[in-house]
Amino acid sequence: MYWNKSCECMPREKLQELQLERLKEMVNRIYHDVPFYRNKFQEAGLVPEDVQELSDLQKLPFTTKVDLRDNYPYGLFAVPLEKIVRIHASSGTTGKPTVVGYTRKDITIWAEIMARSLVAAGADSHSVVQNAYGYGLFTGGLGVHYGAEMLGASIIPISGGNTDKQIMIMKDFGTTVLTCTPSYAIYLGDALKKKGIDPESLKLKVGVFGAEPWSDSMRKEIEKKLKIKAHDIYGLSEIMGPSVAIECEAQNGLHIWEDHFIPEIIDPVTLKVLPYGEQGELVITTITKEGIPLLRYQTHDITSINPEPCGCGRTHLRINRLQGRTDDMLIIRGVNVFPTQIESVLLELGEVEPHYQLIVRREGSLDTLEIKVELSEEMFSDKISNLEKLEKRIALRIHSTIGINAKIALVEPGSLPRAEGGKSQRVLDLRKI
Amino acid sequence: MIRQVSIFMENHEGRLNKMLKILAENNINIRSLNIAETMDYGIIRLILQETEKGIEVLKKNNIRCTLTSVLAAEVPDQPGGLSNLVDALTQAKINIVYAYSFLPKKTENAIIIIRVDDEVQQKAIETIEKISTVNLLDAETLLMK
Ligand SMILES: [Zn+2]
Repeated sequence: MYWNKSCECMPREKLQELQLERLKEMVNRIYHDVPFYRNKFQEAGLVPEDVQELSDLQKLPFTTKVDLRDNYPYGLFAVPLEKIVRIHASSGTTGKPTVVGYTRKDITIWAEIMARSLVAAGADSHSVVQNAYGYGLFTGGLGVHYGAEMLGASIIPISGGNTDKQIMIMKDFGTTVLTCTPSYAIYLGDALKKKGIDPESLKLKVGVFGAEPWSDSMRKEIEKKLKIKAHDIYGLSEIMGPSVAIECEAQNGLHIWEDHFIPEIIDPVTLKVLPYGEQGELVITTITKEGIPLLRYQTHDITSINPEPCGCGRTHLRINRLQGRTDDMLIIRGVNVFPTQIESVLLELGEVEPHYQLIVRREGSLDTLEIKVELSEEMFSDKISNLEKLEKRIALRIHSTIGINAKIALVEPGSLPRAEGGKSQRVLDLRKI
Repeated sequence: MIRQVSIFMENHEGRLNKMLKILAENNINIRSLNIAETMDYGIIRLILQETEKGIEVLKKNNIRCTLTSVLAAEVPDQPGGLSNLVDALTQAKINIVYAYSFLPKKTENAIIIIRVDDEVQQKAIETIEKISTVNLLDAETLLMK
């Protein structure tokens, strides 16, 4: 099932023609309408006419979160405020939020790609969508809302929180599609169990979860707890909001809507574009957005692009599930290491909620990695030999994942320092450089 | 079947002491203590007079512990007493994962705590029961010894 078959299944050659045409138009627009970009182009000795092919994108300057902050609140808007019909903002970790504005056309496009995304996840006009994303400055709530309305589904704008009410509505209103963060989905699943409600007795079929990275083991947990198919949805407010990319029925990577966004993967250190399949930082150029068009925006999200054709028939490239954030990245002996890679190894080995800490030291000129792993009840054994085997198994899997020999140290449960939210503080970089 | 309290502990100074103190302060009698250790950590294995209460106070003090089921065998305190037992298990192809002695107060006999793999525990019980000189003890009997 597709929402917009001619766009979603457009032959790649035609799709790329469309991208180039839109990219040229976009570059022209930001050059003339956004002083920030004009300056950047001039500093780099570039003019819009330098873009003749899609690959010319690689010559163009990046945009960063810092640029958005420096131009707070409206400095990067490409249209006068009278053309802006909605403003969203995402809270920054420090100081001022990041502000984005949408024209009427932007809102329509957003709704369109959200409708596509919901359909790709299995929704249709008969669906009853319980939207437990927060409504407000955050893009999740209204993003799903407009898309579900365009699709013609029945949207329940319940917003986040109030679990008892969520469950009552889920039961009484016959919710078929749940949209929220994956962690809230797990929470809801646990709450159902506590109330003794069998998820099979509900009409729930599909979940569309995003706004935070989640793993495949979390997916399994959600699918088991809620008896649904769980789909990953990707987006960020700077680019649009949720629905920049969606997992189709194949549940193997997220199609990024390339008629509106051009994805690139770069090495977060050298900023060089990496070939398909290689893991790096996702960079997105918005080619149709009017309110705040962004050129080569560095998302800080780590993923890779899968160019293989997908069984669902959609021709748009897929990005793989997010592997973490560049902010968390460590460079050890020249290798990029993400704490989430360690986490996924521990999850694979049967840990349910791994607590671990990476400690990087420099001994002489060599970086060493020690990984402290809290010994959970599931992994405990009263036999030393089993614990030694466990350490070896972890070390081996870590080595095959990141290519580094790490020293594994099992530590007592509850002994690692906890950061806010109960997650352990993951990285201790003791290198003095 | 005997319930042994197993605790994973890092080799930091004072860790073991702290745990022993907690048990002492709560009047929990340690009937047997065995430590297996590596460079970085150890596993403390305890037979407590009051297992439930022991677990409760340890948990209250944030010391995570796990129950392991082990066997207790009473053997005559004389040369060859123990070897009958080991021979019988070896012949039955049962591997002893670890063993340590229990300190009885009311008998001259030796009591040994034996850990075998869970899959072969039943077979181990049957094997030991067949040895005439060895007495397999249940928890109640053991803790009265
Ligand atoms: Zn697909």
